[in-house]
Amino acid sequence: MSVPILPTAVVGSYSMPSWLERLKTEYSFRKIGKSDIDEVHDTAVKAAIKDQERAGLDIVTDGEMRRDNMIDYFAERLPGVEIDTRSKQFYYDFYDSVVRGKLPIAPMGLIDDFKFLKANTDRETKFCVTGPHSLVKRIKNEYYPGEEELALDIARVMNVELKELVRAGAGCIQVDEPYYSGFPQDLPWSVKALNALVDGVDARIVLHICYGNRYGKPSWAGNYRYLFPTILDANVHQLTLEFAWRGGEDLDLFKQFPNDFEVGVGAIDVKNDSIETPDLVAERIRNALNFIPAERVVVLPDCGCHNLSQPVAFGKLRAMVEGAAIVRTSLGA
Amino acid sequence: MIFQVNDMRKGRGELISRVVSRWMALAGEGKVHKDILPHLHVQLDWVQYKSNFREAAMVRKSIRNGGPSPLVEIAIDLRQVDDETLGRALETAAAEAAPGGNAPPRVVLEEFGPMRSSIIWAFNKLYWQHRTEWEEITGAGYEKALPSGSSDGHNIQAIQDQVVEFYDLLVDMDAKGQLSDEIYLMEIGVGSGERALLWLDSFLKLDREKGAGYYPKLRYLLCDYSMVALEHALERLGPHREVAVPREVDAMDPFRALSELRYKVLYIHLTNVYDNLPTDDAVLRDGRIYLIEIRSYLNADDVEDLCQTYGFRTDTFAETVRELLDVGPRVLDDPKQGMRFWMALWSKLQLEERMVTVDSLSEASLPSGLKPSHLEELVTSGPGTVRFQLSSGAVGSFASTIPLLHPRGYLQVMDIFVTELTQYRGGFKGPGKMDGSVVNWVNGALLAEVGKQAGYDVHFKPFTYREGSRTSILYTTHRER
Repeated sequence: MSVPILPTAVVGSYSMPSWLERLKTEYSFRKIGKSDIDEVHDTAVKAAIKDQERAGLDIVTDGEMRRDNMIDYFAERLPGVEIDTRSKQFYYDFYDSVVRGKLPIAPMGLIDDFKFLKANTDRETKFCVTGPHSLVKRIKNEYYPGEEELALDIARVMNVELKELVRAGAGCIQVDEPYYSGFPQDLPWSVKALNALVDGVDARIVLHICYGNRYGKPSWAGNYRYLFPTILDANVHQLTLEFAWRGGEDLDLFKQFPNDFEVGVGAIDVKNDSIETPDLVAERIRNALNFIPAERVVVLPDCGCHNLSQPVAFGKLRAMVEGAAIVRTSLGA
Repeated sequence: MIFQVNDMRKGRGELISRVVSRWMALAGEGKVHKDILPHLHVQLDWVQYKSNFREAAMVRKSIRNGGPSPLVEIAIDLRQVDDETLGRALETAAAEAAPGGNAPPRVVLEEFGPMRSSIIWAFNKLYWQHRTEWEEITGAGYEKALPSGSSDGHNIQAIQDQVVEFYDLLVDMDAKGQLSDEIYLMEIGVGSGERALLWLDSFLKLDREKGAGYYPKLRYLLCDYSMVALEHALERLGPHREVAVPREVDAMDPFRALSELRYKVLYIHLTNVYDNLPTDDAVLRDGRIYLIEIRSYLNADDVEDLCQTYGFRTDTFAETVRELLDVGPRVLDDPKQGMRFWMALWSKLQLEERMVTVDSLSEASLPSGLKPSHLEELVTSGPGTVRFQLSSGAVGSFASTIPLLHPRGYLQVMDIFVTELTQYRGGFKGPGKMDGSVVNWVNGALLAEVGKQAGYDVHFKPFTYREGSRTSILYTTHRER
């Protein structure tokens, strides 16, 4: 299934229902069992896919319903990462995870989650993984000489899993690296780790960089100037950045630093409950087109919809789809 | 019948036993209707505020789906218990609590509704609008009405420590290249401007000592809903006016007026604002949740006296009150006389309460800013039987303030906080009367829950700068777990 010009997608996560939050916390305290929570997750993923399809998105994800947060899903699966205490006060909290020895290579189990997504939609799909830089900021390192070394080894292990994802049919893989914005000084080695992660991975690679969206608020302030020119060395096809709540000032960077990246343009503010009008979305997209050709633009929310309620998330995605359609029409597409 | 003692301090035993004995005697005499006994809760409270809206013994009936429900409460304010009148007060309450029983003659000023919508808040607003006139008549500034006679918000040592803490943040951000050209900070509820003055004096002094030159970058937002208050505060600031930015802001919803500052403000401070914002009360009994509805009234005898003294008609008294709320003390040709009427009326104003059964929190009409999940969490982990404040205004204000915070910013609130739900079992925390305004303790446990779900850990520390102070300092940190 091909996608139109200005295709639409979520960044990764969809609205996390409060009932699921509660069940996840109960699972953390072992009040419900693994088979039950797995079944709950399957149901939630199907519902998230259905909502994305109903909203009219061209590319869908599994809504990241199985994930407590962007770190723990991977910390639990990365071979060699230890989690001493499994219960947490609130499911969204981070585990205290730690690396105490060299990471072995072993399956992470992402393939099954991808296959479930693929089996439940006819649309184009995207599968998201948290990048090595963000992971090393939350996983305690008690073995490697430094963060860079740990990040490179995480990349080595995850690279194998990404290739398996491709073998299973994943055509688009997104790497999430919000911590870049909190630690701009790390960018040179972070990009090195990113390139190691995607080395030889035969899929469309998307790199998502935001200013944090934990609890629906930014974790850092600043602008995207710090990315350039180092980010030009990243072996990715697409950069997805947030432009809705921050405004489009940074778009000019794509003219200042010529590049071939597709740009995922954040056109929906996910840190705000008010639902944009399609016209406002269209205006944001048009603004981006002043700097990037339409053929290289993908339309997305700024970041994940995790913190939005379902009606708000759905309303925003619907407005985004309609806004993209308005621009497509005006382009004669 | 269940007696619940909500005042566990030493030395109350004898008083409590007198009340219980008297009540049991009434029951023995058949003056407590037998049908209410299985569902009767007698609450023995010590109302935090000497001046409040309660009778010595008040009756709370309960309703469900608009019809009567069996639970009945008789709430006794131990602080008002007087041996001479106790018997009569209890007997009156027992008669009212009986099926079909009525309260003594009263002039009701409004229909039953959520506490946050009551006209007591119109009185509260009226007070802040006419505070100067009130002070002229009483001869005392509003701070004199505070238990300590002054605001903890003006404590110079506390302010200096707060300035140092903020300065350290700026230095750290500066070292990391995170400091922008404009440093936003704000105070909501500016009072006389005294705190802003002391804060800016301290900051300027420190900045000169350190030589970092941050002072000119400051944008100190003075936020208040009263333009008059803002003008007075600005005048008070003298040379600091250059860095002050007055903004007309409703403390209940700061974001509405300041949305352009989203994620930009590094420090937000409020002193004694939350305790003066509308609230609702909820009751947990036998696993059920009830929301309190109230209506304000005056006893008919009091209305008679007021009308005689100030020349009003008793049959149109409720309209006279509404006129007072519309035009203030000029309800009478002589505004000073109007002020006296208002004061006398305020002192006699009482609240009748009823409990409305909530079958499902998701269907309950909760105040803005409050989600069912906030309450569910609190109720699940809290004590089984308790009455607590929803602190509607404070929760709404808090929820509408934190989106203004810079990713490294923090909120600091000095107020009277209940930090755990169990503390409500040790005393009735409001509403009370403070001069012409309404005062309530603030449900800090609920704010902590709201904060947690918005990505902030909420902490409380006692205000240690004045001995005996009941003020606590709420501050937020980013939830890093």
